Amino acid sequence: MPNDYLLSLPILAAAGWSVLLIILEAMLSRAALTRVFAMLGFALVGGLSVIGFPLQGLAFSEMLRIGGFQHFANIIFCLSGLLVVALSEKYLDDENVHYGEYYIVAFISVVGMMLLAAAANMAILFIGLEMMSIALYVLAGLMRRDVRSNEAAMKYFLLGAFASGLLLYGISLIYGATGELALHKIAIAIQTGSASMLFWIGFGLLITGFLFKISAVPFHQWTPDVYDGSPTPAAAFMSTGAKAAAFSALIVVVTNFSTLLQNSPTWSLVISSIALATMVVGNIAALAQENLKRMLAYSSVAHAGYMLVGIAAATPDGYSGIMFYTLVYTLMNIGAFGVVALLESKENLLLASDYAGLFKHRPMLAGAMAVFMLSLAGVPPLGGFIGKYKVFAAAVDAKLTWLALAGVLASAVSAYYYLRVVYFMFMRDPVGEAISAPATSSLAFALIAVAVVLLGVFPTEILRITDAALKFAQLPTQTGF
Amino acid sequence: MESSVLSLVIFLPFLLSFPLFSFNRAQHGTARWYALLSSLLVFAGALYLALQFNPSSGFQFEHTALQNWLGDSMDVKYSVALDGTSMLLFAFAAFMFPVVVLGSWERVTTNAREYYFFLLMLETCILGIFSAVDLFLYYMFWEAMLIPMYFLIGVWGGNGRGDAATKFFIYMLTASLVMLIGILSLGYISREMGGTFTTDYHKLLQLELPLSVQNILFWLFGLSFFVKAPLFPLHTWAADVYSESPTGAVLTGVLLKMATYALIRFNVMLFPTASANFAPLVCTLAVVAIIYGALVAMSQPNAKRLLAFSSVSHLGFIVLGIFSFTQEALQGAMILMVNSGLTTGLLLMLVGWLEERRGDVRLSEFGGLKKNMPMFSAAFLIATFASIGLPGLSGFIGEFLTLSGAFKSTTLQTGLYAMLAALGVILSAAYMLPMVQKIFTGELTSERNAALSDLTPREILVAALLVAMIIWIGVAPNSFLKLSETSSQAVIEFVTQKSASQALAK
Amino acid sequence: MIYINGLNIETKTTSRMDAQLTEFGKVFLFLLVGVVFVAAGFITSSLIRPHRPYDEKLSTYECGEEPKGTAWVQFNIRFYVIALIFIIFDVELLFLFPWATVFKKIGPVALIEAVVFISILAIGLAYAWAKGDLNWVVPQPNRPKLPEKKFDKPAKKKVAEPAEPAPTA
Repeated sequence: MPNDYLLSLPILAAAGWSVLLIILEAMLSRAALTRVFAMLGFALVGGLSVIGFPLQGLAFSEMLRIGGFQHFANIIFCLSGLLVVALSEKYLDDENVHYGEYYIVAFISVVGMMLLAAAANMAILFIGLEMMSIALYVLAGLMRRDVRSNEAAMKYFLLGAFASGLLLYGISLIYGATGELALHKIAIAIQTGSASMLFWIGFGLLITGFLFKISAVPFHQWTPDVYDGSPTPAAAFMSTGAKAAAFSALIVVVTNFSTLLQNSPTWSLVISSIALATMVVGNIAALAQENLKRMLAYSSVAHAGYMLVGIAAATPDGYSGIMFYTLVYTLMNIGAFGVVALLESKENLLLASDYAGLFKHRPMLAGAMAVFMLSLAGVPPLGGFIGKYKVFAAAVDAKLTWLALAGVLASAVSAYYYLRVVYFMFMRDPVGEAISAPATSSLAFALIAVAVVLLGVFPTEILRITDAALKFAQLPTQTGF
Repeated sequence: MESSVLSLVIFLPFLLSFPLFSFNRAQHGTARWYALLSSLLVFAGALYLALQFNPSSGFQFEHTALQNWLGDSMDVKYSVALDGTSMLLFAFAAFMFPVVVLGSWERVTTNAREYYFFLLMLETCILGIFSAVDLFLYYMFWEAMLIPMYFLIGVWGGNGRGDAATKFFIYMLTASLVMLIGILSLGYISREMGGTFTTDYHKLLQLELPLSVQNILFWLFGLSFFVKAPLFPLHTWAADVYSESPTGAVLTGVLLKMATYALIRFNVMLFPTASANFAPLVCTLAVVAIIYGALVAMSQPNAKRLLAFSSVSHLGFIVLGIFSFTQEALQGAMILMVNSGLTTGLLLMLVGWLEERRGDVRLSEFGGLKKNMPMFSAAFLIATFASIGLPGLSGFIGEFLTLSGAFKSTTLQTGLYAMLAALGVILSAAYMLPMVQKIFTGELTSERNAALSDLTPREILVAALLVAMIIWIGVAPNSFLKLSETSSQAVIEFVTQKSASQALAK
Repeated sequence: MIYINGLNIETKTTSRMDAQLTEFGKVFLFLLVGVVFVAAGFITSSLIRPHRPYDEKLSTYECGEEPKGTAWVQFNIRFYVIALIFIIFDVELLFLFPWATVFKKIGPVALIEAVVFISILAIGLAYAWAKGDLNWVVPQPNRPKLPEKKFDKPAKKKVAEPAEPAPTA
């Protein structure tokens, strides 16, 4: 029993910390203070995950599965939360919506993500998903006097609730087919018997629910509107932390059924087709976007497609590639959204052409943005390339060379719209007055950019960790019985 | 440690580029002196390697690091080494950089720090490309090169610079991503055949790939190199990039023959049978490129575009030399790679200086320049003759060796390719000489042309350096040929033996 | 029912193919009896009762308030806050009943956990209180300043000042 608490210490600490934040906000009502404590909390929880990295096992009557994978995912969530909170203040101030609740809700959302990644039981899976999603709906509608923000929140809520409904229905059908809710027990039930039609329908609905959350085609239509209307830092959070969480949960689910899925040609074909459609649609739609937030929204659809290639490969290499990818994606996408937020709140600049001549006035900021864009495009030696390399390598390994080939061609297309931003920043003369931005934030972005470069040049240790982290997630039945 | 000297030379320009940002932004004078000294230092390092180099043995100065770079399941590492093929080009690349810095001395006045930063970064990438012996590492350098190139063209180029930069980037990225799939496939095939996923060049050489696999991989790799080279019909980016780029970027990024080097290093060596099988097809394309490039060059009204198509034409000779699979032709191709950089480089630089003075490179704008620009005319004439292939200058040696090698080639079986290619030599005179005639002879018709000043001492120094190299290769080619002699011998033997054994197996 | 029944047999066992009721079947039977019982009562009473309607009898409340206007009016938003907080404690009760049934089996840990659970809910109430959401009379509406409408004017403000030539370096 005490072991349970030790194992799930990061989650417990996060939950406790979110209560602490509520008390703090109730007593003092000082947003700036809540912000500092939220950042401290993310650092603390991330630190606990780092310290507890080697711990693994099932906790609380096999409700939670804790292992390297979960710890790694926790670190990504905390990193995402930390960065988003760090760059939110100025934006919220400028938009006049600087409430302390913003940070609390973001923190609660991270608790939901951690539960989602650590779910060993489908009940926890659903609770985590809802905890994360409801908090995100609130974040999307934060600017409540702004019709676009309201629209975003409403759309996100309705479609999200629909997705949750599908997921829940899937869970109930799986329960009906196997009589179990714990993932590893379902796996055993299926191995001993055989997967019935009812199970497959339920599993399909479950996966559909996840595909909604990661905005895979054809369930992606909400993405551009929601990202566009939400406060930009919140959009950054949705596209990184929430996506990472949905992917971790997806990996947890599919690793549990790996033997079943590896022998199913239909599964591979369906996921490959969805990955292909997601990459193609995301990239082609992004080509036509003038508004940078919408462009980044479609690009996040495309990136979900690249990550799905790793799921389609259905090998440990593919999954560990996705984990690395989510880490890099978190850094580079928050960086890109952050720069957009900085200029948007200050100068109301949202179009790529508004960035003309940024290099002349703010070389460091422009340089950092160029690194993010090139990394999103997947150019070596930046981190985004290694992520793509890993998932495409897994696809080639799984004899899905056609999918990898389609993926690289899609990412060549993507280079065009990422470069457009760089083109305006560096190769056009400034129009109108100089774009100003505080020097400290430029430095912060430069640091994120350096991290992206370092992940591209020295990915070895992180890749080793992701490979090792997957071991426990891979062996569903080793402990617990 | 002796073995890490090569890595030091490769990364020296990159490391030396960071202090540039500590300079005052307005002082471009300091930045360019610093860049010149840095590139000279790198050249000294490369020269040291070239002198230490033992032409009669294979790979030297090996240095490996970052074992299992991409996790334990993949044998991917940082690994560099030089052999005869790469040594020559490595030293030549290091030579070109100080020349380029000197050549564009006055050209860059805005954001000089960043310009030299990207130039030095480019140097690291190019030196890395010539020395990488791990396919993944090679790919990293090959793609990373796009970043400085993109910025050099896009920020410091001509009027259409942004579009030219984007075009260049997208073309190169698309082609090399296809190569990435090739590298991955090759790695997994090596795992099926020999144990682990590897991108180690030495280990991949040992593989006996089935012909069907070779055929596919040959094109996955080849596409990238043919686009970069550029080989007809994938050359459509070249003219725009040549005419809109700053001189330095073209000279170093495009004219240094990384793609043709890669053809020898990877396509020919890794897929010898497929290369031999496809040789007639590739050589046909090469011959088409020679003649097509020459014909299009003839009709160009703009000097830079003319030079772009002439370099497409030259490239045809190099590819022909490589795919003839005789030692003579291969040596000729090696010399041509250097020659193309020297002569077209000198011509482009001269045209660039003319553009700086006059703001225009349309041929119809000029006439009679020999009267007021004698030094300029002399340098231009020598470069033109070298480009046409006049005996005694570098172009002749390369073209002669290539053509005679291609004529004797057993792989091609017919001398037809060489005969048609020889037509290109004649055509090259037919487009180069009218250009010289239009620019230099006749009367000084326009006042603006009459006001043009001759070369400055700095420009004379740069031109003289390149002319000296051109004459040196033309008169005493052996000092260069002997560097790559053993290696090219080895390449030919390797290919003949491999393809013979596969033919036997069938 | 037959659908569920059939699948149940298929996945669990194949031996019990006879007409034995499953647990779902019992629920269904229960439901069926309930519906029939109520419906039968209504139908019989409508058949045998006298039918004499008048105005008072047809009004919403046969005795007491006289309804004015329609029920579709806007409620004060504060009712919703109260309702939400009420629901929280409703749900708390829902959780405490099953907890009570296993309290003896689990022992003191269960007590601690329930205390933690209730105090988290109490903090929620305290939060609403502290933020002033329970004050019925709000002296001044706590309305944040209107944010600038960023979406209404698409970022084209440079058009407004064309006279200034673009600075070139």
